[in-house]
Amino acid sequence: MAHPSQLGFQDAASPVMEELLHFHDHALMIVFLISTLVLYIIVAMVTTKLTNKYILDSQEIEIIWTVLPAVILILIALPSLRILYLMDEINDPHLTIKAMGHQWYWSYEYTDYEDLGFDSYMIPTQDLTPGQFRLLEADHRMVIPVESPIRVLVSAEDVLHSWAVPALGVKMDAVPGRLNQTAFIASRPGVFYGQCSEICGANHSFMPIVVEAVPLEHFENWSSLMLEDASL
Amino acid sequence: MAGEEQESKTKGFRLLGILDVQNTPCARDAILHGAGGSLAAGLLHFLATSRVKRSFDVGFAGFMLTTLGSWFYCRMNNAKLRVQQRMIQDGIKNKVVYEGSVLDPTNKPGAPGPS
Repeated sequence: MAHPSQLGFQDAASPVMEELLHFHDHALMIVFLISTLVLYIIVAMVTTKLTNKYILDSQEIEIIWTVLPAVILILIALPSLRILYLMDEINDPHLTIKAMGHQWYWSYEYTDYEDLGFDSYMIPTQDLTPGQFRLLEADHRMVIPVESPIRVLVSAEDVLHSWAVPALGVKMDAVPGRLNQTAFIASRPGVFYGQCSEICGANHSFMPIVVEAVPLEHFENWSSLMLEDASL
Repeated sequence: MAGEEQESKTKGFRLLGILDVQNTPCARDAILHGAGGSLAAGLLHFLATSRVKRSFDVGFAGFMLTTLGSWFYCRMNNAKLRVQQRMIQDGIKNKVVYEGSVLDPTNKPGAPGPS
């Protein structure tokens, strides 16, 4: 869950997001050291009394400032590629959910066992109850079992949308006429919020995504209740 | 409840406005080690050569190397701990799920059955 004046990532709720957080820390430390180095060099250049107008080249420093950036790039690229391939691993999902983007709401379909589908509209600000989050709450949450690999098939019915949940490290474009696949595991129970991440019209900012990770038993109870409500 | 969580999460101090040393694992230790290494290297060089500006340069190089070294060492240990933690979590989950069955990870192989 994001908090006011937040600059960093939200706490991770999936193993991939944990890896992304660690990689971000690693890359940020490298960026910090480079910035410190540049700042030091600027101060040194400004305060030096040495001036030599006739230096044409210097093999040593040119080797250093060629090799060092290459080494730094390799230090950044190796963990980055590792995570890239980690995100692409086939993980035998326990559940497949279709998330369809509309103007301006999401609809979810759980069709593995029964035909369960529902729409998820943002709760308007005037209808919020105390403790709920403005522009983030939805009337129907996408409920998933915790610690289970979930596959989400994302598409759209009208214009481009994007299904994103930062805490789970997931973002996938919803393209009309195309089925995009993403997968994740919610490693802890909780409620995770996201917002549509592709401009899609007047109410682009008002179609949030709410994922609720619950123990399997609760998920089964919830899906039975939803099916009963749908059949009435 | 939300207020309690926000109070317990310390507001991080950001070095150069980007690096949150309090909430980033290993960052605080790496910076402190770097500061110590920088001071030691710069001071030693100055005591040996009495050259001020060059000692500053050596001190800065000491800061970079010590920070990097401490950072990578701590992150490596952190990563090993996380892998072990994940293995333990999976082991506990498997034990609960498969207890009493053939796939029970705590089954000792080769135990003789009753005659």
